Amino acid sequence: MRHLTRLTALAASLAFTLSALPANAGAVLDRVLAAKTLKVATDANWAPQSFMNDKNELDGFDVDVAKDIGKRLGVSVEFVTPGWDIITAGNWSGRWDMHVGSMTPTKARAEIFDFPGIYYYTPAAVAVHKDSKATTLADLNDKTIGTTATSTFEAYAKQELTLDAAGAPAFKYEFKPKEVKSYSNSTTAFDDLRLGDGTRLDAVVSSLPSIKDAEKAGYPIEQLGEPVFYEPLAVATEHGDAEFDAKISEAVKGMQSDGTLSKLSVKWYGVDYTVVK
Amino acid sequence: MLYPDTVEAEVLVHKPWFVATMFAVILAVFLAFNLTGTTMGELMRPVIGDPLQSGLYGRFAVAFVVAVIFSLNVVLIGFAPLKVQIAIVWFELLMLFLAFFETFHLSRPFIWEKLPFLITQGAVTTLYVSAISIVIASVIAILGAVAKLSTNGFAYAIASFYTSFFRGLPLLMQVYLIYLGLPQLGFVIDAVPAGILALSLCYGAYMTEIFRSGIQSIDRGQWEASRAIGFGFGITIRRIILPQALPVIIPPTGNQFISMLKDSSLVSVIGVWELMFLARTLGQKTFQHMEMLISTALIYWIMSICLELIQSRIERHYARSKVR
Repeated sequence: MRHLTRLTALAASLAFTLSALPANAGAVLDRVLAAKTLKVATDANWAPQSFMNDKNELDGFDVDVAKDIGKRLGVSVEFVTPGWDIITAGNWSGRWDMHVGSMTPTKARAEIFDFPGIYYYTPAAVAVHKDSKATTLADLNDKTIGTTATSTFEAYAKQELTLDAAGAPAFKYEFKPKEVKSYSNSTTAFDDLRLGDGTRLDAVVSSLPSIKDAEKAGYPIEQLGEPVFYEPLAVATEHGDAEFDAKISEAVKGMQSDGTLSKLSVKWYGVDYTVVK
Repeated sequence: MLYPDTVEAEVLVHKPWFVATMFAVILAVFLAFNLTGTTMGELMRPVIGDPLQSGLYGRFAVAFVVAVIFSLNVVLIGFAPLKVQIAIVWFELLMLFLAFFETFHLSRPFIWEKLPFLITQGAVTTLYVSAISIVIASVIAILGAVAKLSTNGFAYAIASFYTSFFRGLPLLMQVYLIYLGLPQLGFVIDAVPAGILALSLCYGAYMTEIFRSGIQSIDRGQWEASRAIGFGFGITIRRIILPQALPVIIPPTGNQFISMLKDSSLVSVIGVWELMFLARTLGQKTFQHMEMLISTALIYWIMSICLELIQSRIERHYARSKVR
C-alpha cells in the first residue's frame, strides 16, 4: 500500500511538470537582452559559410552575419554547433535563440520556424566527376545522385522541393535520378564522387560555392550546366516572439541597405550573392 | 597462455612442411598482384631491368623475393625468446601500418599545427566526458546488480526493466532521445550533461549484468559458510563475495571502459566539441579531413592502450592468489 501512495505521488509530480511546459512568448528578446548574449546555432562543417579557421575558431559568411546581427542588437554572440538535423528538428527549448546557418525557408519548415530575414541567395548546382560523359543535366536521368540529408538539395534531387519564400526565383526539375544517396555533409558526398565517375555516385547536388571550393582543393570534379535553382537563405527563429523577430528583421534590413551584407558576401564568395541574378 | 605445459616440442615455424607451405602461399598471393610498378619493383631494378618492361619474369622475381624475405623473417623470429618475438612482431606490424598511411600523402605540417588543439580541446573533453560517465555507470551497476539479485519484486522489476531497455536501444538513439526528449518534459539540459547521462545509463545497464554475473559466479557454499560463522549480509558481500568476484568482473569491465572511451564519440552529434567532432570539422575548410581523421584515430588508440595497460596491472594485482 505504501508503494502505491508513493507511485501516485510520483505520477502527480510528473503530470505537474508536464503541464508546466516552458512558454516563451515574448521571452526570447528579454532573455537575450538580460544576458547580453545572443546564442546562435550554426554548423561547423559548412565552409565557407561556417567552419573552423586556422585559429580553431568558427569563421565564415554565416558567422560574420550572426556577429553583425548581434552588434546591431547591442549584445555579444555565442555560438553552439549541434548537428543540422537537431537544429531543424525544432523544440530548441531556449538552448539557443536563433539559427544563422543558411537555412532555406520552406513551407514545411515555416510550420515550426519564423524566418525574420532573408540575407542571401545561393545558386545550387550539380557537380560531376571530370571523367563524366554527361554533357547536359538531362544526361543524369536514372543516375545515382549524392546530396546532404534533409537539405533542399536532397529535396530537389527527389523532386520534392518547395521554395515558397518571397523573392525565390522559379525553377524546374532538370533530371530524374534512379537513386538519391544522402550524406551527413556535402564533403562526404564529394569524397564519394572523387572516387571516379559512377564508382559510388554519378553526380552531387550542392551549393555552387562549396562545389567551387572542392574544385579549388583539387577534387577532380566540375560543375555541370547552369545552377539548377536559387535558394533564398534566411535567419531562423522559433515561433512565439514577434518582438525578437522584428529586431532581427530590422538588423538584416540595415545590413542590406548599408552594404554590409554585400561586402561580407564579396569577402567570402568573391561574388555578391545577396541579390537575385 | 591457455595451459603452459613443460613438454618440449619443435617450434612450429621451423618445421619444413610449415615453412614450405608458407613460402608457397606467399608466392602465390604476391604473384596474383602485379607489383613491378611499385617501390618493390624499383628496388629490384638491378635484377629485372626496367620494372615496367620486365613482364612475367619481373612479376615472378618480385613475388619470389617477397616470399623469401617474409619466410626468413618468420623463421628467424622463431628462434627468439617469447618476449622478443612479441616485441618484434608488434614493431613490424606498426611499421607496415605507418607505411600504409604514408601512401596517403598526408600534410604533416597541417597535422602538427592542429595537434595541440586536438589534444587540449578534443582529447580533454573526450576524457572528462568518459571519466565522469564511467564513475556514474559503475555506481549504477553496483546498485543494479544488487537489485537484480534481491528478492524484492519492485527492485528486481525496476532493475531488469532498466537493463532491458537501455541495452535494447542503440546508444546513438539514446543520445538523441535524452537530448531532444528531456526538454519536452521541461528539463532543458545542455549537450555535455545529456551526453554524460546517455553514456552512463547505457553503460550502467551493461555493467549491471557484468557485476551480477560476477557475484553469481561465486559458489553458494561461500555464502553458506559465511552465514554459518555468523557474518551478516554486508560483511559477507564486502569480505567474502566481492574479493572473489572482482577477478571475474575486472576483465569485462575494462572492456567497457575502453569501449566507453570510443563510444563517447557519439555525443559529437549534439555538438560537443570532443575528438570526433573536431576530427570531422577541423580539416573541412581545406579538405584535409583525412589528416584529421587519422591523427584522431591514433589519439583514440593511444588512450585505449593506456587503459589496456592499467587493466592488465589491475588484473595482475587480483591474480596474486593464482600465482604459484
